[in-house]
Amino acid sequence: MEKCGIYLGCNIPFRAPDIEHSFYKVFPALGMEIVDMEGATCCPAWGTAPSFDIDTWLAVSGRNITIAEDKNVDIMTGCNSCFGVMSEAKHLIDHDPARKKTVDKNLALIDRKYKGDSEIYHVSHVLYKNIGIEKIRENVKYTLKQLKIAVQPGCHILWPSEVMAVKEKNSFFPTILKELCEVLGAEVPHYSKLNACCGMGAMRSTDQVRSIGLVKEKLVNMKEEIAPDMIVTTCSSCYLQFDGAQKILKEKGEIDFEIPVFYYTQLLALCMGFDPKNVAAISETPRDAIIQKIQSEARLLN
Amino acid sequence: MAKVGVYVCHCGSNIGGVVDVEAVCKHAETLPDVVVSRQNLFMCSDPGQEIIRQDIIGGVVDKVVVAACTPRTHEPIFRKVLEGEGLNKYLFEMANIRDQDSWVHANDKEGATAKAKQIVASAVAKARNLLPLEDKYVDVTKAALVIGGGVAGIFSALDLANMGNKVYLIEKEPSIGGVMAQLDKTFPTNDCSACILTPVMVDAGTHPNIELLTYSEIDAVEGYIGNFDVKIRRKQAYVDWEKCTGCGACADACPVRTPNEFNAGLDNRGAAFIHFPQAVPKKAVIDMPNCINCGGRTIGSEQKISKKTGKPILAPCERACPAGAIDRSKVADPNGEIIDVKVGAIIVATGYKVMDKDKFKNLAPDSPNVLTALQLERLISATGPTGGQFLRPSDMKKPHTVSFLSCIGSRDERHHTYCSRVCCMYMIKQAKLLKEKYPDLEIYMHFMDVRTPGKDFDEYYTGAIDMGINIIRGRVGGIDMLPGDKLRVMGFDADLASNIEIDADLVVMATAIELQDDIKPFAQKLSLTLDGSGFFKELHPKLKPVETPVEGIFLAGCCQGPKDIPDTVAQAKGAAAAAAVPLAQGRVKVNPTISEIDREKCSGCGICEPLCPYGAISMIATDAAHPRARIEMTQCKGCGVCTTACPSTAIMLHGYTENQIMAQIFALTA
Amino acid sequence: MAAINLTKMDKEIIQKIIDHGGKGITKCIQCNACASVCPVAKAGFPLYGRLLFRKIQTGHFEEIIEDSSSWACQACNRCTEICPRDAKPFEIVFAFRRIQANELAISTSAFTPLMNLHATGHAVYSEASKELRQKVGLPAVPVTSIANEKAQEEIRTLLDNSPMGELGIF
Repeated sequence: MEKCGIYLGCNIPFRAPDIEHSFYKVFPALGMEIVDMEGATCCPAWGTAPSFDIDTWLAVSGRNITIAEDKNVDIMTGCNSCFGVMSEAKHLIDHDPARKKTVDKNLALIDRKYKGDSEIYHVSHVLYKNIGIEKIRENVKYTLKQLKIAVQPGCHILWPSEVMAVKEKNSFFPTILKELCEVLGAEVPHYSKLNACCGMGAMRSTDQVRSIGLVKEKLVNMKEEIAPDMIVTTCSSCYLQFDGAQKILKEKGEIDFEIPVFYYTQLLALCMGFDPKNVAAISETPRDAIIQKIQSEARLLN
Repeated sequence: MAKVGVYVCHCGSNIGGVVDVEAVCKHAETLPDVVVSRQNLFMCSDPGQEIIRQDIIGGVVDKVVVAACTPRTHEPIFRKVLEGEGLNKYLFEMANIRDQDSWVHANDKEGATAKAKQIVASAVAKARNLLPLEDKYVDVTKAALVIGGGVAGIFSALDLANMGNKVYLIEKEPSIGGVMAQLDKTFPTNDCSACILTPVMVDAGTHPNIELLTYSEIDAVEGYIGNFDVKIRRKQAYVDWEKCTGCGACADACPVRTPNEFNAGLDNRGAAFIHFPQAVPKKAVIDMPNCINCGGRTIGSEQKISKKTGKPILAPCERACPAGAIDRSKVADPNGEIIDVKVGAIIVATGYKVMDKDKFKNLAPDSPNVLTALQLERLISATGPTGGQFLRPSDMKKPHTVSFLSCIGSRDERHHTYCSRVCCMYMIKQAKLLKEKYPDLEIYMHFMDVRTPGKDFDEYYTGAIDMGINIIRGRVGGIDMLPGDKLRVMGFDADLASNIEIDADLVVMATAIELQDDIKPFAQKLSLTLDGSGFFKELHPKLKPVETPVEGIFLAGCCQGPKDIPDTVAQAKGAAAAAAVPLAQGRVKVNPTISEIDREKCSGCGICEPLCPYGAISMIATDAAHPRARIEMTQCKGCGVCTTACPSTAIMLHGYTENQIMAQIFALTA
Repeated sequence: MAAINLTKMDKEIIQKIIDHGGKGITKCIQCNACASVCPVAKAGFPLYGRLLFRKIQTGHFEEIIEDSSSWACQACNRCTEICPRDAKPFEIVFAFRRIQANELAISTSAFTPLMNLHATGHAVYSEASKELRQKVGLPAVPVTSIANEKAQEEIRTLLDNSPMGELGIF
């Protein structure tokens, strides 16, 4: 695989476009051409069509998949939820002939045809499986030596493993993101609530207090067990939750610390020497200091 | 002209509740050659049988059709009625209108009645064409083979031997004892497993009628009830057992460290090792795949003399052996040796294994402090890796909090849907033993529900509650790994209706009982079948619990399904009693419903020979140019494969002849 | 609380759940494994997975139809990964959500993302994003449906012709 369709979703292009920009920087530099998916819509998010009608969900997901199929590319999503929604939709369409028939009928309304030959990957899968740890190592300019990272793989990339094209060896103790961070030189210790939910997504819109309660538990757990210099995630929802909730919690006096948060490709772009103004410029929890530290002379390799 | 009597059974409401028996009876009367047609609530009952008997005595009928349940259980009963009144018992045909009709069409009474009529018509059509057959007998070899030297195999072997039969007891490990030898204590009496088992092991090892063949496996089984030819492969031990005294010096000298199976991988053993201290026989073996051939002493290599000392260079195991039982210069066949034995009956008592923890990814299997229950048995056993001290593997410190997890791999559609039956009780036992010894220990037991059906079992369980052991209803969904090698057990307390967390030092999982990975090829060697759960299938779940579809082969112990020690011993003794029947009779009957070759018609093409699943057909040269097929009647099971394959229609299957089958088909399609 | 007379409950909801994609409802044996790791249960919502399943199995409907707990389900599917009955608890929760949604027994805030989806093809969109994008050196709008009239028409066609089109949300 030398090229891949980039599926942006909603949160990345409209709330965290610096993540989007980091894709455009790192993937070509690592030899992966990224192909635009013009006219792609929402995946559709769990709270929308999937909560109303299965066939409508499959039609909207199916439509997004046909955009990649028409360009003969696989799909790479940056958002875990989009990855989960579309992986599950693809699984249902591919394994349930009755559902497939309805999808065909619905897509015919808009002159589209689902073929089923584009696979759905996540950004971390493409980095790990297609580009590979070694290629990343070769392209890193700044090392994260002596910096500690708390990783947050996020739920929708882990379960249900049955529907996913790439699987962790043990989805309850995931290691792909850990390895992706370790190759940057960072220390990535285990913390006990690694696979706990961050509280974002539907819960955040249903009950903010309970949602923030979950992320607080997780933040405190990280802080107590490993005191990380930063949190790194490959889920844009987790990213927004960790970044945004810390501000709220701090204002309420519920936590007395702040841990900078990065989407993985933002951190990778910084390590590869790209300008933070493009790739890591928007956040609620301050991260200027750590960015400066990362891109300091002392961390330059060779 | 035949005089066929048709007897329709209501089977209580099993048939009568669905099928209109009266209508079926009426219909039967209209069929050709049918002279009487009668019904009864239970045709197999004494009054039911009496009806048939009277018709035979009165000369009313000379062929009998019973429309009832399955011939698998009831054909012998009715055949006996015919035999009792001097009628050839093979002039009987059964129409199964229960399993194949009323049970499957319970919601369609009309359809079921119509189908019953057809089934009866078909049976009558066959009955009209039935011919008398004669039973034949063969002599029995008065010896038995018991496969598996666990508690089941030991008890089966002892009972058979005490009845005066020669018994070959074979075991794949170097010692008999099985899983029971690994257990610390046993529920519900807490008696020490080794204390009650080792004397019996010694009895089996020293019994004059028992020939113990350990470190041995079944290579091939041929033959049939009364006369099985068994090839036993005695694995290569690389130690001369005639000389070995079981002193263990070789094991002490061996530099290799490999996981010790007897201690469930909790510690290591050498490549040269003795199975366990109380082994019977107590003999050393060298596990060659793990042997590193110290000093270049590969097996069969020429002995070299040290230039320095002028003495021969020896491997540590050779040097250490005071009995001279290890000589690595000797050529040894890695395949071991084949021993041929002839037996009249076989008991399969191959036991079980427990699932590894690795499969349960959500339960932190990589933590050294997550143990299977069998590992805990070894950890608390006086003969275990810590000498019975309760220390957790990660840091050899005494745990303060222990969580027990039930139904791990049992009652789980992704693994095994069955209940492993003994886990609730042995976990309660483990918890009680620990709590007795360490009253400060906090114990939490997570159950979906607690199953204690057995004598004194529930009292044993409530006793655990009295001791302060915490019983929680709710399955554990995940375990987090905490700093300091602690484990956060994420559970749910159904009674509190709340999520709960336990910070545990040690987690014990009751992993499911299942059969060994290589059980399928083994089962094939004996032509045995496995049931849906993967255990050996008994002939009938209630009435033939130790018999198998292969006559002369019997089952005992957990290979037939999970069970505790008392049930295992009971079944082992049952299997021994059943196996003793043909041995005591001295001859066994050969079913006459088998195939026979018409030599005149046979063209000698040989098509049938490789098709026979029982190897009963051989090509015999009648004269130099003309081979003819021959069927060994004792090996033929009457499956009919050869009959249908023969291009010359030279093979007849007695009881299922062409005109009988065709008559049935015509009746069904009429 | 008064005793629940189980014989007087209406079990119709079970079939409804099955029809809406929750086939596993009849398989649940209340082992509680799902709840033990469920974010909804852990965050303290009253009607988390296994309790919801029990209510459904026993024929509760009116009593639970307005409860918003199911809308806190993250679809994390950790329950699906571990359910020993392979009942796919997530699918049951979502089937219940679909019944609630189609009865319009849900918070009106759930409609905003839907209306966004219908209008722009994106559930989440804000005009402010243009400035953010330009700040990081990207064009004001991405190549998605937001800048693509044909794509927006397509998504509207799909939504308008679906059962959702009949709910009067769009």
